[in-house]
Amino acid sequence: MERNEFDKLLRDRLEGVSLPAPDVWEGISAGLARRHRRVILRRFATGAVAAAAGLAAALLVFRGPQPGRQAEAPVRFAHAVQPVAPQEPSAAPVRDIAPIAEQIAAFTKNQVTAQATAQKAAESAAAGTEKADATVPADAVSPVTDSPADSTTPAEVTSPAGTQPVATPDNPADTREPGQLTQNDLPADFWREDSPDSRTHTSQISILSNLTTVASDDDLIYKAAPMHSSSQTGNRAASAVEPVSGSPKFFSPLSLGLQLTLPLTDRFSVSSGLTYTYLVSQYDMLVDKVRYDGAYNQLHYLGIPVSFSWHFVQTPSFGFYASAGGAVEKCIAQRYVFASNTLREKVGGLQWSARAGLGAEYWFVPRMGLYFDPSLVYYFDNSQPLSIRTQQPLQARFEVGLRFKL
Amino acid sequence: MKETATYTEAELIAGCVRGDRNAQRQLYERYASLMYPVCVRYLGREDAKDVLQDGFLTVFDKIGTYKGEGSFEGWMRKIFVNACLMRIRKSDALRFTEDIVESPELGGVEEYGVLEQIGSREILDLIAQLPTGLRSAFNLFALEGCSHAEVAKALGMTEQSSRSQVSRARSLLQKKIKELYNGKK
Repeated sequence: MERNEFDKLLRDRLEGVSLPAPDVWEGISAGLARRHRRVILRRFATGAVAAAAGLAAALLVFRGPQPGRQAEAPVRFAHAVQPVAPQEPSAAPVRDIAPIAEQIAAFTKNQVTAQATAQKAAESAAAGTEKADATVPADAVSPVTDSPADSTTPAEVTSPAGTQPVATPDNPADTREPGQLTQNDLPADFWREDSPDSRTHTSQISILSNLTTVASDDDLIYKAAPMHSSSQTGNRAASAVEPVSGSPKFFSPLSLGLQLTLPLTDRFSVSSGLTYTYLVSQYDMLVDKVRYDGAYNQLHYLGIPVSFSWHFVQTPSFGFYASAGGAVEKCIAQRYVFASNTLREKVGGLQWSARAGLGAEYWFVPRMGLYFDPSLVYYFDNSQPLSIRTQQPLQARFEVGLRFKL
Repeated sequence: MKETATYTEAELIAGCVRGDRNAQRQLYERYASLMYPVCVRYLGREDAKDVLQDGFLTVFDKIGTYKGEGSFEGWMRKIFVNACLMRIRKSDALRFTEDIVESPELGGVEEYGVLEQIGSREILDLIAQLPTGLRSAFNLFALEGCSHAEVAKALGMTEQSSRSQVSRARSLLQKKIKELYNGKK
């Protein structure tokens, strides 16, 4: 019989042959459920990242009128002089309004807007000039008083009976010219577009990445890349892969995340969110007892960090704080690449870690700031696959990111 | 919910694409007995069970990519063959397979009638008894219809090695068939 004939005959005999298959549906069903959960998790992570990106973009693009100093001050002054109307008699002398507005204009450095305001005030005053004793309504020069805590009330500015009377010839102790307005006459927080306390009283969202110390051979090196991490002992349970002692290399971890910060007190806040970390290691390994040199291991982690921060310095533009907390991470995928083959293995358990560090933040626009958060992180031994986290549990980490006030 | 018997193949596929667990179950029940022999040919009965499970998971994962070109059974068979090859590669059974100088046929099956006397399942088991490297090459070349170049690429060997392995496998199989046939006489 020719070879081809034999092969053909064999093919014909085996064509459509069936064998009673063992019942593996239960395993298939469980596998499908696992994959479904993975898909849900992936969609959640994608949605979270997309939502954060959208939120960040929205904050940048659609912030609306800037609450900054230059824009806000004229609004206040305009409000202050707006009520001045000749037909509304009041207790304050009208002649004080124009000089006050001029001084306010000088304070704000916004000459155009403030001068226009002053001009408007002067015109309003001129309209009532005939009445030498005309008075300004009680709220005519009122600074914007959003809260009763403001130190200056309309009565204080305009009424001689106030605690901070406007300079008049009747008050010789006051050296100011009549109608002169000093900064003391304004609310304490008048020149701040936001008070320091409001920083910690405002929820924030952060987009972050980490730089992590990376061990290569016996040396520690620092590589500029977003964070990823690793651990050493491997998925000890039922792994077909066994690391072989040698000179492992750990590549720069890649980590991205989102965090939401909520204020607890004036200076105390709590943060939590979602982080994704990608770890790559290269080492010699046994796969089903066969050695492969220089094979790669790729790990994907999703984690939930929680940290508490104490803001010990807080200015309108800068903030310094100490923070401590921890994180729990789940390896959602592991892949070995050896020769031209790939092998996926599940990783059980969770990776726990604790961290403590100091941080600094700089708010370069009212609602957006940069922060830098160096810290020490300790990764507990939780039977995770070999990586920098298991090789070097204590790591210095440098987190940088953007923060947005909500 | 539709009864099993009334599902057409197209409906089963559409249901699986939607992730309908009932459709997936029906697809499994319809094709498991056809795919299992493929796994047995490559891996033997011991490992075939695991690959049968992994293969169906891959089928359900990739079923959206089936465009209706060619038979669905053939498409599934390719997935199971690939799953078997992955398992073989993972176990690295081919790593130490040496090139075998083509050996003379160890006495062919001269008569067509000899194969007719042996059942298909017995032939399957005889193939499964071949050494892993020989079995893989023979399955791909003789039963899947791959060229030696394709076999070499799939198994990570040279074409010459593929020819040697297939030839050696054929000889061993013929010998086993003859022994079985003689034992039956």
